[in-house]
Formats: sequence, C-alpha cells, structure tokens
Amino acid sequence: MLDRISPFAVAVLAALVGVVFAIVFMEQESDVAVISMVAAAAVAAWFAGRIGVPERVARAAEINPGGVSAIAAIGGLAIIAAYAEDHFPLLMLATVMLYATVALGLNIQFGYAGLVNFAGAAFFGIGAYTSAKLVGSGVPAVLSLPLGGLFAALIGLLLVFPVVRTRGHYAAVVTIAFSVLFKTFLEVNDTFGGPQGLPVGAMNLFGWDFGESPTLFGIEASFYLNYALAAFVILALAFTLVRRLERSWLGLALDAVRLDETGAACYGIGIRRAKIFAFVLGNVIIGVAGALYGCMQGYVAPTSFTFSDSLIFVAIVLLGGMGSPWGMILAAAIVVVLPEKLQAIQEYRFLLFSIVVIAILLFRPSGLLPRRVRRYFPEGGR
Amino acid sequence: MKSILRFSVGAMLAAALAAAPLSGASAKDTVKIAFIGPLSGGTASIGVGGRNSAELAVRIRNADPKSKYHYELFAQDDECKPNVGVQVATKAAADRKVIGGVTHYCSAVAMSTVDVYHKFNLPVIVWGAVLPDITYGNDYKEVHRVNGTMVNQNEVAADFMTKHGYKTWVILHDTTDYGKGHNTYFSKYVTEKGGKVLATFGVTSDQQDFTAELTKAKELKPDVIYFGGLTPLGIRIRQQMDKLGIDAQFEGVSGIVSDAFIEGLDPKLAEGVLAFREGAPVEKLPGGQYFLGEYDKAKFDQGPDAYGAFAFAAATMMMDAIEKVGPDRKKVTAYLADIKDRDSIVGPITFDDHGQNTVAMITKYVIQDGKWVLWEDSEYAAGKRKLVAPK
Amino acid sequence: MDLFGQYVINGLMLGTIYALVAVGFTLFFGVLDVIKFSHGDVLMVGAFTGFTAAAGAAALGLSHPALQLAATVVFALAGTALLGAVIAKWLILPLKNAPRLNILLATLMLGTALRESVRLFYPDGSNPKAFPALLPTSAWQFGQFTLRVDSTILVVTGILVIVGLHLLINRTRLGLAIRAVAQDEETARTMGINYTLIVLVTFALGSGIAAVAGVMDGLYYNEINFGMGLLLGLIGFSAAIIGGLGNLYGAILGGFLFAALQMIGAVALPFASAYKDVFAFAVVIALMAWKPTGLIPERASDRV
Repeated sequence: MLDRISPFAVAVLAALVGVVFAIVFMEQESDVAVISMVAAAAVAAWFAGRIGVPERVARAAEINPGGVSAIAAIGGLAIIAAYAEDHFPLLMLATVMLYATVALGLNIQFGYAGLVNFAGAAFFGIGAYTSAKLVGSGVPAVLSLPLGGLFAALIGLLLVFPVVRTRGHYAAVVTIAFSVLFKTFLEVNDTFGGPQGLPVGAMNLFGWDFGESPTLFGIEASFYLNYALAAFVILALAFTLVRRLERSWLGLALDAVRLDETGAACYGIGIRRAKIFAFVLGNVIIGVAGALYGCMQGYVAPTSFTFSDSLIFVAIVLLGGMGSPWGMILAAAIVVVLPEKLQAIQEYRFLLFSIVVIAILLFRPSGLLPRRVRRYFPEGGR
Repeated sequence: MKSILRFSVGAMLAAALAAAPLSGASAKDTVKIAFIGPLSGGTASIGVGGRNSAELAVRIRNADPKSKYHYELFAQDDECKPNVGVQVATKAAADRKVIGGVTHYCSAVAMSTVDVYHKFNLPVIVWGAVLPDITYGNDYKEVHRVNGTMVNQNEVAADFMTKHGYKTWVILHDTTDYGKGHNTYFSKYVTEKGGKVLATFGVTSDQQDFTAELTKAKELKPDVIYFGGLTPLGIRIRQQMDKLGIDAQFEGVSGIVSDAFIEGLDPKLAEGVLAFREGAPVEKLPGGQYFLGEYDKAKFDQGPDAYGAFAFAAATMMMDAIEKVGPDRKKVTAYLADIKDRDSIVGPITFDDHGQNTVAMITKYVIQDGKWVLWEDSEYAAGKRKLVAPK
Repeated sequence: MDLFGQYVINGLMLGTIYALVAVGFTLFFGVLDVIKFSHGDVLMVGAFTGFTAAAGAAALGLSHPALQLAATVVFALAGTALLGAVIAKWLILPLKNAPRLNILLATLMLGTALRESVRLFYPDGSNPKAFPALLPTSAWQFGQFTLRVDSTILVVTGILVIVGLHLLINRTRLGLAIRAVAQDEETARTMGINYTLIVLVTFALGSGIAAVAGVMDGLYYNEINFGMGLLLGLIGFSAAIIGGLGNLYGAILGGFLFAALQMIGAVALPFASAYKDVFAFAVVIALMAWKPTGLIPERASDRV
C-alpha cells in the first residue's frame, strides 16, 4: 500500500511520528504510561517493518541523502525546541546526543575496522578530564573540545601497538585492562583530583557563556539549551564524518580489513595503517564528546568512567547495529532514556535493563537498525 | 514541512500540559521532597535504608492531621556515581513541585551536585556524605548537613586511641574519597597526638584479597590496624587478619558501623572491634527509640542501616521548614540558615554559616557479644573485658 | 625469609582460585569459540548456593562440619552445572551464528542480571554473608610464618581439581569428544558425536569448576557477597587470555602469573600499594603487545 507514496514522503512521515513520540515520551512520568508507550512503540515498529517503511526510508536516503539528513536535523532541533525551557529533558537530550557521538566513534573502530574497544568510557573520561583541567586554567573553551579529542587520541596511542597486534578476544583484554587501569589510576593519583574528582567550569564560547540562560524570542530558555545545541552540532559533525567515511575508499578498505585481513592484505591494503587510522579517529571523536560532557556535567570523577560505563557504550553499538550510524542514535536514546524513565522501579531497573538487552540480542542479533549491504547503484531494481 | 512539524509539536505539548494539573485534587496541596541516594550497587543497603527512613518520616507527617501540606517523597537513585547524581539532581531541582532535598551518601556524588542545587536554589540537607568540602568547599546557602564530617570523627578517634596507650598503626583505606579522606585526617590527628603510622595501604573498593598488604603489616607489628572504608571491605580485612594470625586491635570508621558488619563475621572475630560515628547514639535518645520502633512497625524489607536516622532527621527538618514558611525554596533556605539547637533524633542540630551541623557528637562503639555497644556502656570500659593490648 | 614463604602461600591460594576461573573461560572458548563473561557471576551463584546448602544442612540438624561441607559442595556443583548448561542451551547456542561480540555482551548482561537478582531476591542479599568455616582452622606456626590447615587443604584441592580436569580432557572418551568438538564442529558431528550434548556438558563442567572456585573463595575468606564475581571474572578472563585461550596450561599459568603480579604490585614495588592493579593490568597490556596470542598460543593458521 506504500507503493503509491513517494519514499521521501514516507521518510518525512516517519520522522514526524518519531519526533512527536519522543516529545510525548519525555513528558511521561508514570510507570503505566512509560511501559504502554514502549509497548506501543514496539508494536508500531514491528508494523512499520512489515509494511516496508525502513526500506522506503533507506531508498529515500539513497535518492536524496541531503533531504533525509535535513529532515532528521530538523526533527532533532524540533525536539530540543519543544523543551527549550526545561532543564532536565534538555540534559537528557544532550546526554543522548553525546552518547550517540561516542557510539559513532566506537562504530568506526569496531563497526568498520573490527577493532574491539572496551575502553570507550576511559577515552570519554580523558576528554572530560582534559576540559576539567583546561577550562580551570584559563584555556579558551573553543580549544578544550579539540584538545580533549587530541589527548584521547594521544593516550590511545599507548595502546596502539598491542591493539593492532592482537585480534578478537585478545584485543578485548587489552582495552578491558586499560579501562580498569584508567579508573584506578585516577582514583589513586591526586593531581587529577583523586577519587573526589574535579569541578569543571562552564564553557564560554566567544563570550557566549554556557552557564547563563539564553533568551530567545522573549522566552528565557534553560542554560542546558546551550549544551544541547553544542551536542547537536558535535553529533551532526561526527555523523557526517562517519557517513562520508563509510562511503569513501577508506571506509571500503576498513570493511575489507574487518571481513578478511588476509584477503585485504593481498589487495594491497595496509592492515596496520587502516587499524591505526580507525582507532585514532574513533578516539578523537570520543574525546571531543567527552570534553563537552565534562563541561555540561560541571564535575568529573573517576566513578563516571568505569568499565561498566564502557560496557554501556558497547551495548549502544551492538543494539543499534554495528556499522549503522542511524542505529547508534536510536540505541543511545533507548539506553540513556529508558533506565531514567524506569526510576520508579528504582532498585529493579538494572535487572530489567539487562534482561531487555539480552532479549534484543536474542531476537535481533544484528541490532535494531542493521547496517545495510553496500549498494553502489541507487537506481538498481527492487 | 516545518510548519506541520511545529504545529504537531505544539499540539502535543498543549495536550500534555492540559493533562498535567488534573492530578492535584486533594484538599491539601501536595509538596514533593526529593530523596537521593545509592539504591543500587555496592552501597545499596545504606541507600535503601536511608530512603525507607525518609519515607517513614513522610508517612508519619502525612498521618498527622495538623500538617498543612500533603508530602510526597521523590526518591531517586544516584548509583553512587557523580554523573548519574548530576542527572537526578537536575531532575529533582528542575521539578517546581520539589521544595527541598534529602540528598547523598556518597561524597563524590554530593561534591558534584552542590553546584546544581545552588544553580536552582534548591535547599538540601545531606544525610550521609562525610567529606568536609561538601559544606566547607563552597559558600552555597542551599547546602546543609545533619551528620558530622570525617574530621570530627577522626579527631575523637585519634584522641581515644592514644589515651588507651596505643602507639603504632598500620592504615588500610579504600581509594574512594571516603577512605582517602579518613586516611588523611586520621593520620594527621594521630601523629599530632604522638602516635606513629608505620605504613599506609590504599586498596580498591572491590578488592577481595588483602593477604599481601596484611602480611606486610604483620611484619611491622603495629598495635592497631586502622581501616578507613565501608562494611564489605572491613569484613574481609578483619577476616583475613585472623587468617594470617595478626594480633592487633582492629579500629574502623563510621562506614563499618552497620549490622551487616557483625552478620558478615564470625562473632569471635567481631568481638572487640572499635569504630566511631558522628551523631549522638540513636538508641539512647528518646526520639531515636521512637524512630526505631516506628521503623519496625512500617515493615520495610530491610533495616534503616547506619545512616537511616540521619535521613529521617533531615526529612523531618525539611518538612518542619516547609510547614513554617510554606513551599518556597528561598524561604526554606532562609529558614534553615537559622536552625539552632534544634532537637532531633540524632541529637541537637545547629547549622553554622556553611550549613554544617556543628553539634556533631561523636559516638564511640565497640562490638560486644555480637552487638554494637556504646563504649561507655560496654564491659570493655568497665574493665571486665580487654581490647587487644598495645605491644 | 619466613615472610617470603607467607607471600608464596598467599599467592598460591590466590593463583589457584584465578586458575580455576581461567580454566572455565578456556574450556568454553575451546568448544565454541565464545567468551562467556557471566562466568564470574556464575561463580558467585555457586558460592551462594553452597552457602545456602550449608545453612540448610545446619538447620536440618547435620551439625558435623564434614556433612555440611559435603552438602555445600554437592549443591553448589549441581546447581551451577545446571545453570551453566541452561545458559549454554538458551543463550549461547541460539547466538552461535551472531557476531561474536553479541555473545560477549549478552553474557555480560546476564552476569549483571545474576548479580542484581542475588542482591534483590536473596534474603538480605545486598550485605556480605559470613561463610561458615567448615575446614579445620588450626595452624602451624613457623616463626612469622603461619600455615593454616584450611588454606593447605584448599590449595591441594584446587590443584587436584585442575589435575583431574586435565586427565578428564586428555584420557577419557568424554574428553576426546570435547577436544573433537573444539577442533572442528562439522567433522565431530559426522563422527557421530552429539554436538549439542557435548557443548552442554562442557558448559556444565566449566561452571561446576567455577562453583568449586566460589566455594573455595568462601571457605578461604569466610565471606561472600553478591559482587564477588565481577572482578574475579575479569581477572580470570585476563588470565586465560595471557596464557593463551583454548589452552588449559595457559589458563593455569595465567592465573598464577596474575596472582604473582598482584602480590608484587602490593608489596615489592617502591610506589604505593594502591597502584597494584594499575601495575598488574599494565603488565597485561605489555604482555599482549609482546605475545599477541598469549604465552602459549593456539596452534592455528589462517584459513584462506
């Protein structure tokens, strides 16, 4: 029945439904409403899948990539705008976007190059600690974000040698060890505030103080609006970068390395170079997101960047579907917002969360929005 | 395209807003009080005990026909993690119905959230975190604390121990802010009073095996093994001291004053363990007995644990303030600033200019026959039993 | 010198527990090429089952420690073996063809679920439990050096379990089948080996060994808690990896090596003992850089 509607219109409709759903969902407080909305979303998603909405949207993205991205951007901004005055929803939104950015960085590492990274939270933390140290010592905030990325990449270089040499589970242990080491190091080392952590000053971008509430059209918006917009920009940049990368010959080379190292080497792809590139680029993205996260939280402490936090990032990548940038955003939203919405069941929510993740992995092993097979000829038949 | 989006967004918002105020139909206005503490993870038992106690305070107040408002406890889990703490603190502070907060057991979380409370003018009373900087590290009028800091606690502890003839210590502390803080202050006071710290070991809070550290400690033959940290580690260390045949007095901090510490140990090993805690002995005060009795009656699925009484006192004080000046954050903050010699179940409370309770009494405890007993009441003080003698 | 002996005994005890955990990781990896990260938490469930059984036996009037110990071991082993098989059947086999990371994450989440369930549903589960001392607690004193009877029994038992496992894998028909499945699933199937059954048995076996480690842990430290499996699982996994996955000796070597690293980090290094985990994990990273497939690598070549 969707045949008569143009793919682009389907995409617009889907975005509209998504935005409205997101706005209404964020508003809900009671358990019944939250659970029934989740159930409704699951049914709707299943139904949409049945009538071929995802294929249509994907097709629209092939025909008119700029248009679909624009719809998504407008949708994202609409959600932010709807909550311009509310602190808490904006904080959540900004968190979702930063987590999605981290997932995009990890996605380059293991979605494309096949490098497992269980130290996502550690690199995220390096970014956050960088801004904590820099903003405090008078370095302009404009610089603290890229420097966060730079430091994450530099410290990541310590791991490059073992990471590139090892594979699969062996590589996992390198990053797991780093993750544990990082948190313990921060706790015992007093120059970084020790276990208490460090306060982070508010960001100031060319005289635009992020700690102040901006006034737009006569309405005093929440100061978190600044961070939400900044997070949106960072996410948009990372997203564009990842999409470009995927479509470039570099992305193709990374895919080849992941799927068959020996084969890729036979075709003259520098395996080490490709892996190092992916590892460093991923860490830069994660570090930048971390730097902004640090400013937004106003406080960094070692317990925010533990191995379990790294697992949350890995969970986002796998739930979203490895290699699928859209999936990262969806999964980040679920992973951040759902446990928060489940505060009402307090001590039981981790149990429930872990069960939900297991169920998704069992029933949708390739993630919520699996990555599509590369298609080089968008006009190709159905 | 955009206009359609905007329109539907607006429509949904309007519908949501219209639905919101329908709930408050009862005769009294509903006022929310936030409770924030660790409800999951390793320190959950203290957090849940605190929440239950705050909940109890709210129930008792709501049952009182004279109260002007209907109270609701808005309980949030900070997971003992600063980033989650900022999140839930923002959630509570941004909710206009929330007038005050009873917040935090974990010091790192409290440190990270005080800025949020200040920014949103939300008055809070800390119910368990002991790091001095929470109240003294800033000038925020909004932040108060009913329990004492670890400074008072360790000063009393050092004084007590040196007076009993102990001269040498080996310190084990966990590497959280809590353990590290205790190490700093205890070392300082005990050295001032002529004691000697032979060695200090930092251990992570999930460590199981301490035999390496303790073997080293054994070699140094200290009079006392001081442990700065929480119950689970305290149990393991006391247990493993025995395994290695270390003959030294075991001295703990407020973090091990919990029933779980005794239950987790062989009664023989728990016997004679010393610890110090801020606040007057709950069991001794008339209000405290009332609290414990009511808590029993409420049939929660676990006990109030070590800091339940503080959470109860904090919640009660917050509701008193709201009764007096009405549900207005700034007025409540102003009211709390003038609290002097206020009676509570943890003893009289006076807030200084940083919102810190200055009448922080320190209670000395010793375990006797499987119970935490006040030192003054124990057979140890009476001389009938003996602690491990100094060498 | 006598203190050195004390460190060695402590290290041996710790190493035995680590090795028992690491052996499980290696077994699972051997047959299915998967990492089952809930292993540490399965260990914790084993310890709690044993604890409950001991309490139950005491309540039934079996006051003799040996009887209680028997109940502890039997129930812990049986319960955990069953749990291991159930996990294999309902979680790991269905995910066999999914990306490998999925199993890793699914089992990590299962570990969380087990941990949280014990905390929430076991009576007073969030507090540590005093595990009864069921072994003789007397000790021999050699100057500063204390050798306890229970520790000695535990180390010997641990080593016997490892030796027994070695014999089982290398000398029995069951072991032959496990090795066959580990080498090549399809060939094993065509040789008439019941693949699913062997996988389930291997998981039951590995989990049973984790229960032994859990009970040992309980008997040694006389304290168990719901979070005890987290770090043990992480260390066991690291040990299995340093040693070289799929290799029994590698796992044992890795276990003892990790224990030695922690001991050295705590007492022999010039800087504060708080850095001992930093030290141990930094060495792990360095080892991986040096020997990317573990100290005793798997014999394999790329199939092109």
